[in-house]
Amino acid sequence: MSDNVYGAKCTSCGTVNYPTRAVCRNCRNETFEPVEIGGEGKLLTYTDVYALAIDYETRYLRLAIVELDDGIRVTGQLLDDDPKLGKRVKTTIGVVRDPGEAPIQGLQFVPA
Amino acid sequence: MAHISELEASLRPPAMDMPPYPPKAITLASGEEMVVRQVERNEIPTLLEAIYPLLWVERDFYDIVAARLFGELLAYKRYRVKDEYVLAGMIDGVLAGMVNGRLVDAKTGMSYHTLTIRRGLRVGSHLFAAKMEYHIEHCGQEEVLIVAESPIGFRRWMIEYPLEKRFEVQHELGGVPSWILPKETYYSAKPRLVSGRRPVPQELLKRAETIVLPGEETVVRQVAGEKEGGE
Amino acid sequence: MKPVYIVGAGMTKFGRSEWSLMQLASVASLAALHHAALGEIPVDAVVVANMGAARVNHQTALGSALVDRLALYPAMAEAVENGPASGASAFKVGCQAIASGMADVVLVTGVERMRVVNGLEGTDFVASLSQPEVEYIYGVTLPSLAGMFARLFMDRFGVERKHLAMIAIKNHENGAKNPYAHIQQTVTMEGILTAPEAVVNNPPIAEPLHLFDCCPVSDGAASVVLVSEEVAVKLAGPKVRVAGIGQATDTHAVHEREDPTDLKAVRIASEKAFSMAGLKPDDVDVVELHDAFTILEIAESEAAGFFGRGEAHKAIERGETRLDGRLPINPSGGLKARGHPVGATGVAQLVELAWQLRGEAGARQAKGAEISYACNFGGFGNNVVATVLRRE
Repeated sequence: MSDNVYGAKCTSCGTVNYPTRAVCRNCRNETFEPVEIGGEGKLLTYTDVYALAIDYETRYLRLAIVELDDGIRVTGQLLDDDPKLGKRVKTTIGVVRDPGEAPIQGLQFVPA
Repeated sequence: MAHISELEASLRPPAMDMPPYPPKAITLASGEEMVVRQVERNEIPTLLEAIYPLLWVERDFYDIVAARLFGELLAYKRYRVKDEYVLAGMIDGVLAGMVNGRLVDAKTGMSYHTLTIRRGLRVGSHLFAAKMEYHIEHCGQEEVLIVAESPIGFRRWMIEYPLEKRFEVQHELGGVPSWILPKETYYSAKPRLVSGRRPVPQELLKRAETIVLPGEETVVRQVAGEKEGGE
Repeated sequence: MKPVYIVGAGMTKFGRSEWSLMQLASVASLAALHHAALGEIPVDAVVVANMGAARVNHQTALGSALVDRLALYPAMAEAVENGPASGASAFKVGCQAIASGMADVVLVTGVERMRVVNGLEGTDFVASLSQPEVEYIYGVTLPSLAGMFARLFMDRFGVERKHLAMIAIKNHENGAKNPYAHIQQTVTMEGILTAPEAVVNNPPIAEPLHLFDCCPVSDGAASVVLVSEEVAVKLAGPKVRVAGIGQATDTHAVHEREDPTDLKAVRIASEKAFSMAGLKPDDVDVVELHDAFTILEIAESEAAGFFGRGEAHKAIERGETRLDGRLPINPSGGLKARGHPVGATGVAQLVELAWQLRGEAGARQAKGAEISYACNFGGFGNNVVATVLRRE
C-alpha cells in the first residue's frame, strides 16, 4: 500500500493530520499513529488541467478535492465522466504518476 | 497555361487536380481579423523575403523551419514538387504566418511546415487547423502525415488533437517517424480546434489581395521576442 | 521601529531576455541606484529575491553575486526565497534592516531568468511549491490549484467567465501603456470569449481558467533602494514612506484550508499592514495585486478589504478598478500583462507603486495617488506579504 495514503492521527486529541506533520495542528502534541485515508465523500471542487507536469503524456488530467464523510479533505485524480460539485464519490488506489523508475500510487476518485 | 517545352514538362512532377482553398476570416484574441487564403506561385517571392531573415534565428527552431520552408516554397513556385499547396494568414493585409504541405495521393496528405510571424495570438494553431481542413474537408483525404521540429509543435498537435503514431512511415522531413491525423480525429477535434467564417466579407478580402510584409526588423523581433539585453 | 523610505526604483523590461540572470539583476539595480542618486552615500546591504536560480540557472548565493557585479563590497548580502512572494519578502527583510537600525541604505533586487528551460520544465519547477505527498504526486501544478479554486469561488459567488475576461482586458490595456510590460498586446471580449473563434484563441488551461486567465512566463528584474530617515533627508526627490508591512501563512495543502474559497493569509497579512500604517482599505488610491490567474485579482481584492465577499466582480462590471476608475488595480498591467519573473514580481509591484506615488507613471498615472497597497501571493496563498506605501 502506498505511503501516500496515510494520515497522522494525533495520539492525544485524535485529529487526523493529512498531510502528516511533526506537530498536531489542533493540540500541538508530537506523537501520532498512522491511519489509512479513504472512503466515501463528496466532490468539493475539480478541474481539467492541460498545463501538465513533465511526467504526463495525456492531453489533460482531471484533478479534484474531495471532502470525505469523516471530515478529512483530500486531493486526487478524478475518474468520472460527469463530475458535478457535491457529487458522491469514493476513493480507490491507483498509479497517479510515473516518473520512470517506479510508478507512484495514490488516491483516485470514482462515482460512489 | 504558358507553353512549356517537352524537357521542362518531363522535369515537372505529375499534377493532381487540387481544389482551391476557399478563404476564411478568423477573429483573433486581439479583436483583429485574419484572412486565411491560398497563395499563388507569383506571390512566393514575397513569402521568401519574409522568411529569409529567420534563417539565422535559433530560438524555437525557426532557423530549420525557415530553411526547409524556403526550399519548399521555391520548389512550389518552380514546379519541382508534387501537388504542394501554400496557405497564408494576413492581418490587415500584413503577413502573419504561413503553412504548407502536399498531397501524396488521393488518400494521404503530407503536412510540411507551419511558420508564425505574428506571435501571441495562436496564429499557428489557426493556420495548422486550416491546412488539416484543406486536406480532409476540401481534398477529401483520409489521413495526413505529420511531424514536428519544435516542442511547441509537438504540444500543439501530437498532444492536442491528439495524433496517432504511424512510426513505420518515415516522414519526408528528415526521415523522422510520422504521426497521423485520421479524418475521424479531425472531425471530433474540429469544434475545439478549427474555426473561421465563410464567405469572407468583400471589404476584408480586398485588403488581403496583396501580401504586405512587416519590416525585416519587425519579423525578427516578433519571432525572436523583444530582444532585451546583449552587450 | 525606525521609519523606512523608498528613494529609488527601477526595472528591466519583462519578457524574453538575452541577458544572463546577473546581468538582469545588475541592470535593474543600477536603474534604481541612479534613480536614488545617493552620491557618496554607501550601500550597507543587498537583498536578492529569487525562486529558481539554483535549479533553472545552476546558480546560488545570489546576494554575494550581485554585490560583486555592482562592486558593493563589503556590504551585507543574502538571497531570500519565498516562492512567488520572494520579492515582497526580500523587501520586508530590507525594511527590517533599516527599521532595526542595522543598516541605513539597502538595495532590494528581485530577479528571475526562467526561460532558459522549456515550458514543461518551468511548470514542474513552479509545481515544486505544492505539498509533495498529498498534492505534487497527483500532477498538481499551480494552474490546477487555481482552476479548482476558481470553480468553487465562481460557483459560490456567481462570478462568470466574462468577469475574468474583463480583468484580462483591463490588464492588457494597462500593459500596453507600460514600456516594461512583457505583453503589450490588447485583447477584446469578442476575441477571447464571445466570438466562436475564442475556443481556439483562448483554450482551457485548468478549467474554468483559460489561456488569457493565466500570466505568462517571463525573465526580468526589478529593484528598489531603501533608506533610513537620516539618509532620506539628505536626498533630493520625493519620499515614499513604507507605511506598513504584513505577512501571514496558511496550510501548505490547499485542501486543508479552513474555507477553500477564502484567502485567509491575504486577509491577515493585509490587516497587519493596514494596522501598522494606521490606515484602512478606504484610504488607498492605487493597488497592485498578484493576478497570476485572473480569479486571484477578484479574490485578493475582497480578502484585502477593498470589497465585501462576493462583491468584487460587480465592481469590475462597473469599471471601478480601471485606470480611470475609483480604485485602479494593476495599473502596471499586473502579472497578466507586465509578466511574472517569479522572484522579481513582488519588487516590480513596489517599483510601479513608487512611480505612481511619485507621479512618474506616465500614461499609466492614477490620479491623486498618495497611498498604495500591494499583495504578493506566495505558494498558492499559503504565504502572503502585503505592503502599504505612503507619499510624504
